[in-house]
Amino acid sequence: MTVSTVDADARSGGGRLLLTLLLPIIFVNVIAFIAPVANLVAMSFREATATGSMKEGMDLATWSSLVGDAYYWSMLWRTIWIGALITLVTLVLSYPLALFVSRAEKAKALLIVLCISPLLISAVVRTYGWMVILGDQGFLPALLRSFNVTPPRLINSQLGVVIGMTEILMPYMILSLLSGFGKLDTTLEQAAETLGAGPLTVFRRIVLPLSMPGVLLGCLLCFVLAVSSFITPKMLGGGRVALLATEIYDQAIVTLNWPVAACLSVLILIVFGTALLFYGQLSKIVE
Amino acid sequence: MQNFTRRKVLALGAMGVAMPWVTKASAQERKITVAAYSDIFEDIYKKAVIEPFMKANPGIRVDYMGMPTSAQNLGMLRAQKAAPQIDVCIMDVVVAKAGGDEGIYKPVTAEQLPVMKQLVPAAIIEGVPGPAVTFDTIVMMYALSKFPTPPTSWKELWNKQHAGRIAIDAPPNLLGVGLTLIANKLAGGGDYRQSIDKGIQLLGEMAPLVQTWDPKPNPYAAVANGVVDLGIGYNARAQTISKQNADRMAVAMPEEGSIAQINTINLVNGSKQPEAALQFMSYALSAEAQATFTEALYYVPTNKGAAISEEARKKTAATPERMARMIDVDWIEVAKFRDKITEQWRRNVISRS
Repeated sequence: MTVSTVDADARSGGGRLLLTLLLPIIFVNVIAFIAPVANLVAMSFREATATGSMKEGMDLATWSSLVGDAYYWSMLWRTIWIGALITLVTLVLSYPLALFVSRAEKAKALLIVLCISPLLISAVVRTYGWMVILGDQGFLPALLRSFNVTPPRLINSQLGVVIGMTEILMPYMILSLLSGFGKLDTTLEQAAETLGAGPLTVFRRIVLPLSMPGVLLGCLLCFVLAVSSFITPKMLGGGRVALLATEIYDQAIVTLNWPVAACLSVLILIVFGTALLFYGQLSKIVE
Repeated sequence: MQNFTRRKVLALGAMGVAMPWVTKASAQERKITVAAYSDIFEDIYKKAVIEPFMKANPGIRVDYMGMPTSAQNLGMLRAQKAAPQIDVCIMDVVVAKAGGDEGIYKPVTAEQLPVMKQLVPAAIIEGVPGPAVTFDTIVMMYALSKFPTPPTSWKELWNKQHAGRIAIDAPPNLLGVGLTLIANKLAGGGDYRQSIDKGIQLLGEMAPLVQTWDPKPNPYAAVANGVVDLGIGYNARAQTISKQNADRMAVAMPEEGSIAQINTINLVNGSKQPEAALQFMSYALSAEAQATFTEALYYVPTNKGAAISEEARKKTAATPERMARMIDVDWIEVAKFRDKITEQWRRNVISRS
């Protein structure tokens, strides 16, 4: 037996072992992800009658009515820009907090736990909390009234959705940023300072570029969660903020138009795919 | 071993020998599942209808599956189409029609269900698989602290004094669809099948006063908890919740009349126990069960023979003068342009709030 034969045998044995090890996860993925997504795509090619019952057979009627309706295009655009706005606000609020936590010398672990502790409470409960704080008789409007300021509509509006979603997504952003800050070498900042750079220059030229992988990861995570989020926009939007996720709920649960709900779900998957592509490209540039 | 007397050993042996027959007897108990609304409906329906039925029919066990909406009820059965786990569904007439068209429910006839002959004519709806089991109406709920005298007209929804203190469930929710038809009548819009433009225009004038188009958890709680002063809802639930919050919330049935909501009872196609399911449906439609349920939850019974107290009658739309003022609506027809109504609301009503 030659050396090359032994290597080939080892490779084929290793391949078989790898395949055996991968089989359970492939099986789970086929059952729990690929099959439901295929079912969803198939459903999008069906058509519902005016009373909600589904017609037999498949065609492009639902897709063509959806693509030709300007209302859905405006909803798609609104979903993307509200998702982007929430992501941006979350990033702006989370960045200094995450930087402070990553540089804390005392009780760093405790601070991290405090930052992510909201995840221990369900998003529904936290959203109800915001309804109490921002509601007409809530703490914040009452505070504003005590300063003779007429409070704006803080819930049942787009503003309410942005506030609620930002708070819900901050732990995810902080965790992603903390992973990015782990790569920061403080000696580089010291070197820059030694060479005469001010704090702003150090931040702009050293800290921010080196933390970009964490920023990009956090943005991707928050954008995807914001676009697919249903509970908070439904509860804090008061029926005024129609997004893809809330429309899917209405079509699937209220009007029973499952084909339209399936088309919109596929549309959300396309948005996610595009976001992932952007993330991949931007990651390459940053690295 | 001293505890094991000969008598005990013989008794245990006899039990062992008898076990196959015991198991067989227990297997003969028929089990059916009824899917209907959750929350208050579930609590009261179990006590008023299901428990008395099981007492009268010890061989049939009825499990109740609470569903938040009729559409979710049908959704569950769509997923179980090959092997349904539900036998009887109580749901809104529009959803029942959709399920019937898909073959999920089996049409029932008066031959299979003789009790149908006792129902009011409006309970048998063409194209819908099962007969109506309850009627309800759309009403206004109001906060007692804000109304020294009860409101008597739908026009109260346009009163600027309530700016930012009104909760309306917008379409596609059927409450919002119903309000559209009421507004169309108020605006003199004529036949809703021809046009609802005047109703939409009138609703657009109300829009700036509305706090929420999607009250959470529901419009009843929003009024009872003082989040809003005025809302619209279904009479049966509104009456029950106002009874529980007698110092905070009350119900008004406006003088211009209202719209009926219809719940039907349907036999699932492929039910493993169709006879037991029909037996249950027969009981649910009987005068006795209908009267008991109305006394408890104020739905209008569909059985002509249901004897209800004057107190309960006053809390339903079943009084002759209220029935005379009801706006005639064909929900199956309305369902065909529900999408159009929803779109008009989004463009011309909600956008103005």
